[in-house]
Amino acid sequence: MARTRTWISSALAASLLLTACGGNLGSGSDDEAADFPDGKAITVYVGQDPGGSTDLIARALAEEVKNELDVAVTVENKPGANGALAAQELAGKTADGHTLMIYNGSLAYITPLAVPEGEAPDIADYDIVTGISQDDYVLVAAADSGLKTMDDLKGLGKAVKFGTTGVGTGSQLSQELLFAQAGIESTAVPFDGGSPTLTAVLGGQVDVGSIQLGEAVEQIEAGELTPIVTFASERVSYLPDTPTAVEAGYDAPVQQSRAVFAPKGTPTEVIDTLADAFGKAFGAESYQKFNEDNQLTPNEVDGEALRQQWTENLDSYRTVTEEHQIDLGGDQ
Amino acid sequence: MDLAPVIDGFGVVLEPVNLLYCLIGVVIGMLVGVLPGLGPAATIAILLPITFEIEAVSAVIMLAGIFYGAQYGGTITSVLLRLPGEASSVVTVFDGHALARQGRAGTALGIAAIGSFVGGTVSVIALSFLAPLVASFALDFGPPEYTALALLGILLVSTISSGSRLKALIAAGLGLLLAVVGRDAFTGTERFTFGSLDLADGLDFVPIAMGLFGLGEILHNLEQRHRAIHAPTEIHDVWPSRQDLKQSSGAIGRGSVLGFFLGILPGGGAVMASLAAYAVEKRRSQHPERFGQGAVEGVAAPETANNAAATSSFIPLLTLGIPANATMAVIFGALLIQGIRPGPQLVEQNPELFWGVVNSMYIGNVLLLIMSIPLVGLFVRILRVRPAVLAPITVLITLIGAYTVNNSVFDIILVIAFGALGYLMKKAGFDPGPLVLAFVLGALLEESLRRSLLLFDGDPTGFLTRPISGVLFLALVIVAFLPAIRSLLSAREKEPVG
Amino acid sequence: MTDARRESLHDLENAIHQIEDEERTPAGPTTNLVLALAVVALGLAALAGALSLGIGTPERPGSGTWPLLIGIGLVGLGIALALRFRQDSDAEAFTRNSAVVAAGLGTMIVFVAVIETIGFELPSLALMLVWLRFFGHESWRSTAIVSVGAVVAFYLIFVAALAVPIPHLF
Repeated sequence: MARTRTWISSALAASLLLTACGGNLGSGSDDEAADFPDGKAITVYVGQDPGGSTDLIARALAEEVKNELDVAVTVENKPGANGALAAQELAGKTADGHTLMIYNGSLAYITPLAVPEGEAPDIADYDIVTGISQDDYVLVAAADSGLKTMDDLKGLGKAVKFGTTGVGTGSQLSQELLFAQAGIESTAVPFDGGSPTLTAVLGGQVDVGSIQLGEAVEQIEAGELTPIVTFASERVSYLPDTPTAVEAGYDAPVQQSRAVFAPKGTPTEVIDTLADAFGKAFGAESYQKFNEDNQLTPNEVDGEALRQQWTENLDSYRTVTEEHQIDLGGDQ
Repeated sequence: MDLAPVIDGFGVVLEPVNLLYCLIGVVIGMLVGVLPGLGPAATIAILLPITFEIEAVSAVIMLAGIFYGAQYGGTITSVLLRLPGEASSVVTVFDGHALARQGRAGTALGIAAIGSFVGGTVSVIALSFLAPLVASFALDFGPPEYTALALLGILLVSTISSGSRLKALIAAGLGLLLAVVGRDAFTGTERFTFGSLDLADGLDFVPIAMGLFGLGEILHNLEQRHRAIHAPTEIHDVWPSRQDLKQSSGAIGRGSVLGFFLGILPGGGAVMASLAAYAVEKRRSQHPERFGQGAVEGVAAPETANNAAATSSFIPLLTLGIPANATMAVIFGALLIQGIRPGPQLVEQNPELFWGVVNSMYIGNVLLLIMSIPLVGLFVRILRVRPAVLAPITVLITLIGAYTVNNSVFDIILVIAFGALGYLMKKAGFDPGPLVLAFVLGALLEESLRRSLLLFDGDPTGFLTRPISGVLFLALVIVAFLPAIRSLLSAREKEPVG
Repeated sequence: MTDARRESLHDLENAIHQIEDEERTPAGPTTNLVLALAVVALGLAALAGALSLGIGTPERPGSGTWPLLIGIGLVGLGIALALRFRQDSDAEAFTRNSAVVAAGLGTMIVFVAVIETIGFELPSLALMLVWLRFFGHESWRSTAIVSVGAVVAFYLIFVAALAVPIPHLF
């Protein structure tokens, strides 16, 4: 009998303890916008797998913002469809600033060109807190292939086989634009992400590939890869000797970009508080070192400026792919 | 070879702090491996903030420990609960769980521990001496070579099943079909996704495997006599006998070599390794019908191979700066955060990191082996829990574990659907093994095939003119027709009965 | 009950179970045929899907080429299976016991249906209850202890220790 009583009381104590811990089924919160974040945690969605560039950026920022706002900031990976799944979930969350997302530029201005109408999210359906940084693409070839310049590619004699990191990626877009404008016959060979593409280029399986600078730089420095052009709008500081595609005469500026998104309807004061916190995070020494170590170019513009950047990108890419009859998606 | 940095590396590892991190890593790894669904990649991601605070070497030592510790943890659930948490543990289920049902779970886990230790250690030794050499070999593996390997794998899949050959092929066909679901990697067209965004990236291995093996089996047992999970007869032993060890020695040896080489190949290395090792043993055996019923070699081979492969999968990362799988990608990220960018120059620029990590793997493997001794006895006790109690707990672990794959409720729905399918398959006499393995290999096969055709401009003779793929295709043909050749030869040799 | 007695009872149970096992009723030829036809149907569905995706040409394979091959394979294998419908005996029949399976599945479906609204704790508790008490014939006492214990353990492991964002109430 006594045993049962002890058992009951410990069960009661346990349940009281549990109720004290916050759940995460949260629907509407009563926080005043002015008190944001008011001690409640912030969740940041990342639409990619852990370990990738977007994920690392999210985690680096979360560390800093956590200190600025004095609340827990956790990164939640929700991979799928280049971030479309995470974006979909974000749209369904309460617009109180407690759920954010690190949104990829490619989802905003490249994916819509590769998938059927309505399958890619529209950035008009979200509020934007701030831009973060940009990641450049570089066209590389294996050092022992002897290919160093665009002229070498033109003189190859057969169709250039180029590796891409997937359908609807910046890697594909940059190369399609480049080769179409240069009048070089080419065949796209899609791989599953940066690493396999890099491996294929190094191993000479494909002639060239376009990958993010951060992934290629070590091999370039080791002399295993030759950078031919970069797809930035200006010469990249990390590769001072490599011309940009634009310099070489081809209108193919393509960059990966990231920004902090929030569900539509987030109060302006909340956005401002967040923008402020992220702004301070950008200034932190450890974050700046992170950018340097990963060859990222800061793009810390405000929400509206970013929206304009990305909308312009989408429009100009749409125009130029139509002009050169490039179809990023299905070939039926 | 200059031994100074190697010895320095040992110096680094043997610092008490790093020994501690190694221990922490393998313990966390083992625990994570036991929990189906949550993989080492996700765990390491969760621990990334901690790595900010500690030194790079210590961080990677710990993370590496998590990775190969998880391989061992995955074995435990495969053997005891028939729940493979990773693709590389599927093959262990066949004989491992059969042994458990015979009350010989201890043998299974013990042999797995020993095999894993040997495989891991052999792999580290080979890595220490051969890493740069082997890395450039890995670069020579292009789409045509992967096509050959994937084909070989699928061929092997149908031979390892213990049930009807025809049904195994059908199950494999179903696995191939499931692998098609998702966006076509070449055209971006959605295939068989019925408009669902959740299916746009295809199905994940984990919900399929957990559903088919775990839930399917539990549901089937429910039916048997309202009691869940077949109660094993009393536990006969807690450790493999000398006889078992002797029987497995060949398997362990061959598994180590196979695992080392196949693990270097980015994408699919460990799965291929476990599959190939098992198939090789089954083919070599005088009594292949023992496989699937509790043959110790059937556990020793895949376990040795997958640990060897797990270790050698570090090679592309450490020598080329290319992560070979999801976990390596996260470790890559952890290094980036520390300001170290792995690449071809890592050995020269950060020798203490390279050798510190490599040498920690020796220690880690030893730690795992030592820990298994008491732990095997402990884990085997789990089977003593009344089946009626163990079943719902397993069900919940599976349902919650399914969520942790992508932090998505959709995966829970998937695991339940595959649980139902697993039950029906069991009723119908279909083995889930071939389905699951074909699923893993199917995507690799189709993509490699199409890439190869793009590279060859549509001309399939290219497969035979490339040296490596030519050799592999030859091996394929031999493997495919070997049984036929063998029976032809032995028929000829038999004396006609007088 | 002494340990020795319990063990011999256990052994007896196992012996009975083993005999029961061997008497599993095989499915009849009709079931075998239906099964084979299901496989053929699946193959045909794959074919249909493949054709709608566009099968391309041997030089330029399309999205549907691979599913086409798989579909053809499945249809062929299904027909081969159908030809053996009288001989095969490795399938099992559905018995009255099979209803339990539906119930078991039901608990899981309910679990996933409500988890996003009320968190995982309560559905887990309910599932444990049903399985322990109704499927497992455990006493109310052990049902209660094990159910609560398990849910608490899961909470501590997944929510507290691993910070997995599974929907939770507490």
